[in-house]
Amino acid sequence: MANIDIPSEVPVRYLPRSRNASTLIGALFFVGLAAFVIRLRQDPDSAWISYVSNWLYFTSISIGGVLFAFVTWITKAKWNWSMRRVSQSFAAFLPISFVLLLPMLLFLREDYFPWIEMMATDAIVQEKAAYLNIPFLVARNLVAVLLLFGMALYFVYHAVRPDMGLTRGADGGDPAREAWRERLTQGWMGQEQEEVNSYKRMTTIAPAFVIVYALVMSIIVYDWVMTLEPHWYSTMIGPWFFMGAFWGGIASTALWSLYLRTQDKEFKNHIGLQQRHDIGKLAFAFSVFWTYLFFGQYLVIWYGKLPWEQAWMVRRSDPESWGPYSLLVIVMCFVIPFAGLLGRKPKMKPKLLAFFTSVIVIGLWLERYGMMAPSLWHEGDPIFTIWQPLIGCMFLGLYLGAVRWFLTTFPAMQIWQPMGDPETIEVELAAAE
Amino acid sequence: MSNATKDPIVRGALAHPDVTRLDDVNRDVLKVLATPGKGWWALFSLASLGLVVFFTSWGWQLYRGIGVTGLNAPVGWGVYITTFVFWVGIAHSGTLISAILFLFRAPWRQAIYRAAEAMTVFAVMTAGLFPLIHVGRLWHAYWLIPYPNSRFLWPNFKSPLVWDVFAITTYFTVSATFFYLGTIPDIAAARDRATGLRKKLYQVISMGWRGTDQQWHHFGKAYIFLAALATPLVLSVHSVVSWDFAVSIVPGWHTTIFAPYFVAGAIYSGVAMVITLVVPIRKVFGLEAYLTTKHFDAMAKLCLLTSMIVGYAYMSEFFMAWYSGEEIERTAFWNRLFGTYWWATWIMLTCNMFVPIMLWFKRVRYSIPALFVISIFVNIGMWFERYVIVVTSLHHEYEPFAWGIYRPSLTEMGILLGSFCWFSFWFLLFTRLLPPIAIQELKEVLPPPMRKQKEAHS
Repeated sequence: MANIDIPSEVPVRYLPRSRNASTLIGALFFVGLAAFVIRLRQDPDSAWISYVSNWLYFTSISIGGVLFAFVTWITKAKWNWSMRRVSQSFAAFLPISFVLLLPMLLFLREDYFPWIEMMATDAIVQEKAAYLNIPFLVARNLVAVLLLFGMALYFVYHAVRPDMGLTRGADGGDPAREAWRERLTQGWMGQEQEEVNSYKRMTTIAPAFVIVYALVMSIIVYDWVMTLEPHWYSTMIGPWFFMGAFWGGIASTALWSLYLRTQDKEFKNHIGLQQRHDIGKLAFAFSVFWTYLFFGQYLVIWYGKLPWEQAWMVRRSDPESWGPYSLLVIVMCFVIPFAGLLGRKPKMKPKLLAFFTSVIVIGLWLERYGMMAPSLWHEGDPIFTIWQPLIGCMFLGLYLGAVRWFLTTFPAMQIWQPMGDPETIEVELAAAE
Repeated sequence: MSNATKDPIVRGALAHPDVTRLDDVNRDVLKVLATPGKGWWALFSLASLGLVVFFTSWGWQLYRGIGVTGLNAPVGWGVYITTFVFWVGIAHSGTLISAILFLFRAPWRQAIYRAAEAMTVFAVMTAGLFPLIHVGRLWHAYWLIPYPNSRFLWPNFKSPLVWDVFAITTYFTVSATFFYLGTIPDIAAARDRATGLRKKLYQVISMGWRGTDQQWHHFGKAYIFLAALATPLVLSVHSVVSWDFAVSIVPGWHTTIFAPYFVAGAIYSGVAMVITLVVPIRKVFGLEAYLTTKHFDAMAKLCLLTSMIVGYAYMSEFFMAWYSGEEIERTAFWNRLFGTYWWATWIMLTCNMFVPIMLWFKRVRYSIPALFVISIFVNIGMWFERYVIVVTSLHHEYEPFAWGIYRPSLTEMGILLGSFCWFSFWFLLFTRLLPPIAIQELKEVLPPPMRKQKEAHS
């Protein structure tokens, strides 16, 4: 059994602020926004496809990263102590994601959801009217997403709060950090009590979050992907989507952590061999798992050969249109990460790990688009245009900005480490009750 | 206490607060192998009696033909396939606990993994009998094995039943090897205390283990490699079993989530079976200090997680059946809930989804009697899950004229009962022959016998 050393005093370190980074992020956002506006005038359908697929992707990796924080919390993992905050920081994108969801719910109607028009004539779609209708769609998306994001933010709030007491005077007198400390430490009960309180609340909410995650992510993928081909259905699409999101969260955590290493000596020391090896193993394992889920769905549909079921696969594997694209997704999500991360060295060497996790992150971005876009594709349309990444820039800018803001405002390594010894914490909790 | 916990090596001491010396481990665990008590003989006689029932029923079926079962059109797969899938499922948690939890560095596994692995091997041995029973003409069973026979006929490689042969034989080979490898140091420990014939046997099967540095080095390497190789197998075996059903277009079978759903269900039933088996072992052999409530708590959490995955699969199946808008799909699932076999479905839902809700409470997870009862519910529920999948789907397929009812015959019940006895027979023998707790891994987490340590404790 490996022995994980958590230093008794974790250094207080923030991601350094950088004007260049902010400029770049701002530029990305405005380029993306401009691209979306231009595209909306040219070809609104395609603009919205790009919008939704990017929303799906960035929401996936953000909530997947937060899920990773939850899961390592539930399992009392110690190895990722220096990367916990990185996974938590993705929660900063969630409020933005919620705002970005609103236009989708407000403006997307007949042009996006084929079932609206089919409802008039198609007998099978009429059978689904209780689920496929706009009021219910809007209501369930709002409620589900609010619940999921709310729980995530609640967890992250409790993870950050005890750190606020420990960083007093160690934050370099930064006014923004000070302001957030004021905000987060209302009703402060004292350091020890705060840690016990946070531990309790995080531990209580964590299993519930996992359930809500599975359900809400299923609803999201049903509504924004599956129902776009109203005759098609697959019970696997939910797990495939939310496990992919989890994987994306893990890979992004690895990438951000590797980025932090380049920014400060303390990060470099503490995001060490053990951490890289372990997160590399997870990135590898989930690549295999992604392929397993993908193949599990594919095989059953291929073998069953039911017309309404295989239509979805046929569309995506047609060598004339989407076939090469789907193949590219498989190469990026399975072949390269599998071959690359199989060995021990690539998991440990920061540059190699960064390369392969980047492949995963880009592969998943392509995958999310390939999940939904072919359903709305018509003969003669281009498969992939430059607008897709251009509009993606808007989301990328917001995501990078949100995570960067979080890591510059709050300590980028969690300072209180209750998992240093879960057993003692339990004893303390029992004593506190 | 807080001082001791600063040293990570003492972590195991917290998990086993009553075991303080390494000598105790050998003594306590190896005493299990001593002369058996009355309780063991009673159980062993019962299992042997069950074996008589098993072979009598099977012999009767061989003599009279497969007609003595309730199998007929349209339900050609009944209790046999149900029980086959059940035992393959049971076989999963062993390798999960020994390989996957090993890779995930979950330290609580060391107390239970030996028993879980043994269970795996015997469960596969039990499951492997069912295709032989089910084919009816046992003397033709070798046809399952792909080889170019005299007429150059090969089995159909597109048939998932052939995949099954490969998946299960691979799984059996790897899990048996893994099981054996892990026991070698412990067999050597047993060898050093045994006398007579037993000593001879242990001498042979411990393969000259001396505990040298080099041997440990090789052992460690081999163990981690096998663990990594066994991990995908845990997922692949039951996925292939699930495809026996899912790749067909029988309503109720043909659904994409089957592979992960079956794997989760298999781990679920397997962990429940570990609880069922380990509770009596702990009691009878006085191993309370080694199998603490913490271990049971961890197993219960694993059960809870897999129960929720299974629950998710049930719900998504029911939802999709409705959402599909297909009359056939909808009828199949409606029939499952409210048709002839409604009772089987509700047993399944109650045992697998509703009863485990109790595991949310810490009090229940820390109560061994409660866990024992829940684990039995889960075992029953998981058997019925397969029964529901096999029978309700087949008896009510597409054409109404081809609907029918299946009732298992006495012979089938005899074989079902007998399979439990066959399994118990081997498992009971195992508890006499091999240390049921991994001595060497237990010692790894206990405080090493050093003078410094002694002072820290006093």
